[in-house]
Amino acid sequence: MSSARELDLGVGVLDHQLVDCEGRRCGNVDDLEVEGLRAGEPRVAAILVGAPVWRGRGLLGRLAAFIVRGQTVRVPWEEVERIDAAVHLRKTARELRLGRGDDRARKWIEWIPGS
Amino acid sequence: MSKILQLALGILAAIGGFVDIGDLVFNVEAGATLGYQLLWVVVVGVVGIIVYSEMCGRVAAVSKRPVFDAIRERLGFGVGLGALVASQVVNLMTLAAEVGGVALALELISGLPYRVLIVLGIVALGVVIWTTPFEWIERIFGYGGLALLVFVVGAIKLHPDWGGVATGFVPHVNTPDKLVYAYFAVGLLGAAMTPYEVYFYSSGVVEEGWTPKDLGLNRANAIIGYSLGGTLSLALMIGAAALFLPLGVDPQFIGTVALGAQVPLGTIGLLLALVGILFAVGGAAIDTCFSGAYNVAQFFGWEWGKLRRPSGAPRFTLAWIVLLVLALLVIMTGVDPVLVTEYAVIFSVVALPLTYIPILLVANDRAYMGLYVNGRLANAFGLLYLVVILLVSITAIPLMILTHQGQG
Repeated sequence: MSSARELDLGVGVLDHQLVDCEGRRCGNVDDLEVEGLRAGEPRVAAILVGAPVWRGRGLLGRLAAFIVRGQTVRVPWEEVERIDAAVHLRKTARELRLGRGDDRARKWIEWIPGS
Repeated sequence: MSKILQLALGILAAIGGFVDIGDLVFNVEAGATLGYQLLWVVVVGVVGIIVYSEMCGRVAAVSKRPVFDAIRERLGFGVGLGALVASQVVNLMTLAAEVGGVALALELISGLPYRVLIVLGIVALGVVIWTTPFEWIERIFGYGGLALLVFVVGAIKLHPDWGGVATGFVPHVNTPDKLVYAYFAVGLLGAAMTPYEVYFYSSGVVEEGWTPKDLGLNRANAIIGYSLGGTLSLALMIGAAALFLPLGVDPQFIGTVALGAQVPLGTIGLLLALVGILFAVGGAAIDTCFSGAYNVAQFFGWEWGKLRRPSGAPRFTLAWIVLLVLALLVIMTGVDPVLVTEYAVIFSVVALPLTYIPILLVANDRAYMGLYVNGRLANAFGLLYLVVILLVSITAIPLMILTHQGQG
């Protein structure tokens, strides 16, 4: 992100849709990794996506993380191209290892004619 | 196609698509139990759905956010997940009830066994969703649902007491059992303001790429479509009041609903009523099914869309297939669709604030909405309805228990 506009991370980034460089929806911003809190110069280092991250998102989040298996995917903040209604990424979902659930689910329905 | 024709066709489909099993059940039961007294509640409910569906459409067109995006963003993951679970339970119950309604209408038309028709109905719905472009689904079911207009003719032919009808639009209580009155009022509001309609509508707006330029169309759709659709609800209640109240009939069966057209108009009335019910409820089943898939996909950030090929949004596709199968399992247990409908509507009322509060918040956020942020009128109505929604949300379940679902 190069532009210097003010952004409320809680409302403006967290829980937003991730969209890859090909316009594919590939997850939501489940949490943010923040660095430099001790030094008093916090900055967002990465976007975190995946079920294990939900553990830090309230009681129901912890329960959901317990039920749903999955891996955490870390998307470095440098990969963010711009933010509007969604968070747009510079690379494809595949390169960032996002949206793999859809890739797996596709196998279940590909065999049906007209899919 | 000219814009006006397109609008007219859209509105026709909206009228046919307005009524679902919740409206059928609650309007007819309210008319049969309390006469014309609750007509005013239908008007309140229709204005409510106009206010919030216009708002959801505007938020979706301007900010590109469908309803469940806004819910997760404003309520956070934890509470948002609670809202998701609640809305999915209600969606599934509604879907099961609609599928039961489809099977009952088919049973009355064909005479085949009910359970066979449940399976046939589900398979037919699945095949239609899989093979038919969405525009056509909307038209087929919307125009088919227009056959319900037979209830308007039927209501007039039943020669209702028009003076009584007129006083029904003024809030008053003329029954010893005030709790039953309150129960039906809450149910009618819930049936008119069903949240799946706004999930479905707002996702469609995002998918079709509406922009602020389409806001006029959004407003026209909401105001004209829902008001005209609401007249069907009014006709159902007026007809039921004129026909069933004097006889003391409690319409606990979908076939009884069709009597509102059969008694005044004969076999052709009955047939049109059943076809209308079949298409209206079938269309609602598809909308509900998609709503469930939209909600879960938007909450977890999966690819979604009814305009894509099924393999273009695999988890979304699996989600609606799973919902259809679950609805099949629920309704195959032999549970009464009318009972499921009543539970579905009452539970949807309880969950209403979780849907409408985030929408009101986002619609007021200038950072997203810019020029198109809520004006004074939208906010006045939005807040007024929020109070109404909170009130009915709190009272719905106690009223259901105290009145034994309106039986007194």
